[in-house]
Amino acid sequence: MKPLNSNPTSKAELTGPRYWRSLDDLAQTPQFLEQVEREFGPEASELSEVDRRHFFKIMAASFALGGIGFSGCRRPESHILPHSKAPEHLIPGEPLYYASSYSVRGESAPLLVETHTGRPTKIEGNGDLPGYNGSTSLKAQASVLELYDPDRAARHTRKGSALSQSEVFDALSAFKDKLSENKGDRFAILAEKSSSPTRLRLKKAFMKAYPQAIWAEYEPVDTDSGAKAAKSVAGPNLKPLYDFSRAERILSVDGDFLGQDPGALTFSKQFADGRRVRSSKDEMNRLYVAEGNFTITGAMADHRKRLASSQMIGFLAGIALNIELGVEGEALQPIFENLTGSFDEDTKTWIAKCAEDLSHHKGKSLVYVGAQLSPEAHAIGLLINEKLGNLGETLTFVEDVDTESSSIQDLAAAISDGNVTALLVMGGNPVYNAPADLGFEALLDKVGMVARLGYYEDETSAKSEYHILQAHYLETWGDGRTYDGHIVPQQPMILPLFDGLSEIEVLARLLGEANPDGHSLVYETFQSSSETKEKRAFDKFLHDGFARGEGYKKTHSLVSGSKLVGVLENFSQPAAPSSDSLEVVFVNDAKVDDGRYNNNGWLQECPDPMNKLTWDNAIIISPRLAKEQGIVASDSMIQVARKNPNRVRDSRTFAPVYKVKVGDLEVTGAVHILPGLDNYTLVLPLGYGRTKTGRIGQNSGYNAYSVRTSSTMAFAPGATIEATGEEFQLTNTQEHWSMEGRAIVREANLDDYHHSPDWVSHMGAESHSPPIYGKDKYMSTQGKITTTPRGESIYEHPDYTGNHQWGMNIDLNVCTGCNACVVACQSENNIPIVGRDQVRRGREMHWIRLDRYFSSGLEKTEIPEDPQVSLQPVGCMHCETAPCEQVCPVNATVHDSEGLNTMAYNRCIGTRYCANNCPYKVRRFNFFDYQQRPLDRLYEGPLAPKGMPELTQMAQNPDVSIRMRGVMEKCTYCTQRIQQAKIDQKVKAKDSPNVKVPDGTIKTACEQVCPTEAIVFGDLLDPESRVAKLRENERNYSVLGYLNVRPRTTYLARLRNPNPEMPDYSDQPLAKVEYDQKTPHGSHDGDHHGSGDSHDTHDSDHDTGGSH
Amino acid sequence: MSKVFPKAANALPLKIVIFLGVFVTTGLAGITYYITPKYTRVGYEPIQPVPYDHSFHVGELGMDCRYCHSKVDQSSHANVPASSTCMNCHSMIKPDSELLEPVRASYQSGEPVPWVRIHEVPDYVYFDHSVHVNRGISCVECHGQVNKMEVVSHAEPQSMSWCLDCHRHPEKKIRPVEHVFDLDWVHPGGELAQIEMGKELVNEWNVNPPQSCSGCHR
Repeated sequence: MKPLNSNPTSKAELTGPRYWRSLDDLAQTPQFLEQVEREFGPEASELSEVDRRHFFKIMAASFALGGIGFSGCRRPESHILPHSKAPEHLIPGEPLYYASSYSVRGESAPLLVETHTGRPTKIEGNGDLPGYNGSTSLKAQASVLELYDPDRAARHTRKGSALSQSEVFDALSAFKDKLSENKGDRFAILAEKSSSPTRLRLKKAFMKAYPQAIWAEYEPVDTDSGAKAAKSVAGPNLKPLYDFSRAERILSVDGDFLGQDPGALTFSKQFADGRRVRSSKDEMNRLYVAEGNFTITGAMADHRKRLASSQMIGFLAGIALNIELGVEGEALQPIFENLTGSFDEDTKTWIAKCAEDLSHHKGKSLVYVGAQLSPEAHAIGLLINEKLGNLGETLTFVEDVDTESSSIQDLAAAISDGNVTALLVMGGNPVYNAPADLGFEALLDKVGMVARLGYYEDETSAKSEYHILQAHYLETWGDGRTYDGHIVPQQPMILPLFDGLSEIEVLARLLGEANPDGHSLVYETFQSSSETKEKRAFDKFLHDGFARGEGYKKTHSLVSGSKLVGVLENFSQPAAPSSDSLEVVFVNDAKVDDGRYNNNGWLQECPDPMNKLTWDNAIIISPRLAKEQGIVASDSMIQVARKNPNRVRDSRTFAPVYKVKVGDLEVTGAVHILPGLDNYTLVLPLGYGRTKTGRIGQNSGYNAYSVRTSSTMAFAPGATIEATGEEFQLTNTQEHWSMEGRAIVREANLDDYHHSPDWVSHMGAESHSPPIYGKDKYMSTQGKITTTPRGESIYEHPDYTGNHQWGMNIDLNVCTGCNACVVACQSENNIPIVGRDQVRRGREMHWIRLDRYFSSGLEKTEIPEDPQVSLQPVGCMHCETAPCEQVCPVNATVHDSEGLNTMAYNRCIGTRYCANNCPYKVRRFNFFDYQQRPLDRLYEGPLAPKGMPELTQMAQNPDVSIRMRGVMEKCTYCTQRIQQAKIDQKVKAKDSPNVKVPDGTIKTACEQVCPTEAIVFGDLLDPESRVAKLRENERNYSVLGYLNVRPRTTYLARLRNPNPEMPDYSDQPLAKVEYDQKTPHGSHDGDHHGSGDSHDTHDSDHDTGGSH
Repeated sequence: MSKVFPKAANALPLKIVIFLGVFVTTGLAGITYYITPKYTRVGYEPIQPVPYDHSFHVGELGMDCRYCHSKVDQSSHANVPASSTCMNCHSMIKPDSELLEPVRASYQSGEPVPWVRIHEVPDYVYFDHSVHVNRGISCVECHGQVNKMEVVSHAEPQSMSWCLDCHRHPEKKIRPVEHVFDLDWVHPGGELAQIEMGKELVNEWNVNPPQSCSGCHR
């Protein structure tokens, strides 16, 4: 792909209207409609007088040009279309970056969006705003694909027939008149949560102008409990703000602060900064987790307690009882004692020792309560934090600027009382995701008129009279607030592709604002709070991507124990779930969120970080429950952590289908077993089972909302499951669960690391394989990577002569497995999705994947219930002596002079020998023209329809080739970014010799997006570069280093920081225990201490191993 | 064996050899002529919607390449000027010329002038103008003496081997940066002097044109 303005290839493209105008035309001009109905464009099938002249001109020219032969038809004519009037700032061929933001559930993340000739193609984080470091979440990365979704709604409709934008405006102003007459009586708005100052301003204006109207807000994934708790125990208009950067001891109670909870992006960075260890003298934070589900936060835990979500209040009460409660203790103690009590001795010790450790770190600890838990749980959590001296340190109360709104339950009551005659649903999808007890779909029939502002024509649109097209956030003006309250702009990158409107524009029209366009609205909000009132301040706001200031206003409020007594007085701890009364937990899905990204192919195909399922959700159950239900044959001695008990072939899991009953409600779904869950908890991910969605999301999974009611939003007790006898193929990208005793992910406890810093080099088969560097083992890293000494090998090795030698380092100690790198890579490198059926055949195309391993250590029981999880991102390692290159018959994969293992797509003939010979299994083959064919028509013959939809074409990165069927592809270290950086440096150098790219200039897409800075890319030839220094670190190791492939991507081994006092303390990480157990000479390695090569750990050259 | 093969068969091997020789030679010649860029591209001279005369504007009026191709030293893409650039002068000079009608129409309507592309690299090749012109490679090396062309034509084959010729021996083409946009400049000392200066510049500026796949293919 070249920039759009330089490659039009046909006359049709020339005369055709430009894309973003065409749908305007589609709706409005009769000429365009006529043109659409013709089989060919107006000039393709007939010759008018003028065209005939033109035709002869071209013919004459080509005859004259070519002389004899066929040269006249050799070359297709193409055109260069420059602008009519050159726009400012735009350099044809160069991307432009704009600051914007991405908002979900009232939290905005600052963005820099890359645009190519007006098309946004890649989302990057805005690194200028402190705390964000340029990172974004997985979902923000994928949101750009929504913009170009061919299934998005493309027109305004009323009762199914199209409306033009002006008709919508007329309808809105007619509505406004009606509202002004009766002060909004019997009118209701159902909106999503938002932190936008402009929306807040309009909301206040709306409530003032139409005091009779109902303004309700609903989020299926409710994150308000913390704020509710703060209001009840600390003071009105307050909400808590967590800060992990100073927390040395963290207890997360059923929270997923590294994954799905609000603030996860900043928390990940803060948490990782406290965990980053660079030498054996460094300390790191310690994470305790109690949870029912198994989240990626649980995977990072040093101590993890499996406990059902309903038991968390008792757990928190237990913690509170074990810390100093001060003068309020007397009143609180009996209440807490009442709440806790049913725990077994082991759990009680766990709680006591954990609380003791937290108490030893007053002011430097943090108790984090999961966002979905009840306000009561949050209230106890706030009290504990106060008593631990964490207020103002790791937890601060800030002013909550949002105003009161009604809930969806209030709205439902008003509707069923017949008090709502007109309802405007702004965003969201309540027909699909409202609590099941409300019967929202049926309720809408009682409303006279339902209007709906929505991005897709979904379940709610089907029940609405008006569907007003909502514009994508990359198409409209807006603003928002980050987790800590910084105001960020939302700038449009492109005119709305389909005439959509934004929420604030619709509101402004209902209010009759003088300037109801997005820009004016945002400008006005900004100026009303700006001190200078200068336009320049606004320009700076847009340029920087955030407003200067402190964020939410901090307060010094305290938690009131007596108020807490009031909160908890009438509260009793529910009974723990058991085998005949199971507990259902509803979780915000790691990929499709609450269902809003159901039609996003990148997210659907991205494997879930823990269970590795794609395209569907499953009923996630624990191995014990599976055994009791007979899902694993009862006489089986299968180790669940080693082998999936479900039947597995390729990437298919033949999973039994079960029915979950909660009260009168039931839902049916496939069962997937995940070790590490609470025994009697069923995890039901939300967001699937949509009935009206696009082609990507249809028929994916089951709808967990159908068993979720107003009183059981987070978890529901008393559920049962029963088999239906059916079977469903789940699509699972990693059925293999263990490392099979190999040292792929190396782990040690922090204490061990302090005592023997060189432990990493004593793991793995390198110490037993022939020495890799032979006599050259003391050579510097720089010498090794350029001359690649032969060691004991009989093969000649290449020399690498380039100005740079690229390499990467991944710190496994801070990688949280959030998967953002997977989708960032997909977006940057034009990687196609292949569809459910192809993933089942193991043909997914991701260039980087996250391997997830369970280890259960010495535990030889049939059911390992408390496994530890290790995560490892794996992409092409760019081996210096790459095995793939030696088997390619056509030299399609060769090394360049700077150490990149390059792939020349045009040379590749598709033998797949390279993939066969790759020890890391990172090469991906285009079995079909995934980019050109609809996913359900891949198998059709050569004459089947081909071609990428025009909208999808616009999403592609013009700096990367689109690969065709039959070629191999893989991670290139983002070669396009490397080349661009080198070019930029040379342009700067002009006639000077300064062509070395400074360290840090190039960020690969995965490195750029990483919230924890786990991935570092750079020039190994420069001993001062970050990556070269990390390679000298004693924790550095190569995966499968003994193969002598000398990978350029190396890893820093993972550390765990367990507390020796804890009942579940293990003096070795379970992965290490398992490794030592399965490797008979594990203990022998200890003999090599002090043998002289302990500092020469990189590439793990251990000649001492030769004595074996 | 003579019973099996008639005498005439003795000449058959020779005939086959001659036939194959002629067949293969013809085939190769055909491929060379009809498929290699040296013949398919060089000399391509399409009719443009506006007969812009480089030899007049550059050769006689002395305009710099960068007046119109203004971003060539900042971007991978050497931009073709917007209609507004033409109108900078032609709103006053020859404002009524019939030949300039498409430019005026474009300026009025906002629709682009559809210039016919002459030099085109395939989609899988990523050529960057800025790095070449900033590091002493003149426009003339790839585009020929455009300042002498009344109608622009394709001057060089621009095939991969042609690219590599220069990337392997940059000293033959490199020149001081101040002469990059002077299409008439040749080293006054002739070819040998050029090579000698070229080697010095390559060394001095640390010029290392990529010769691996990754240099141009992404």
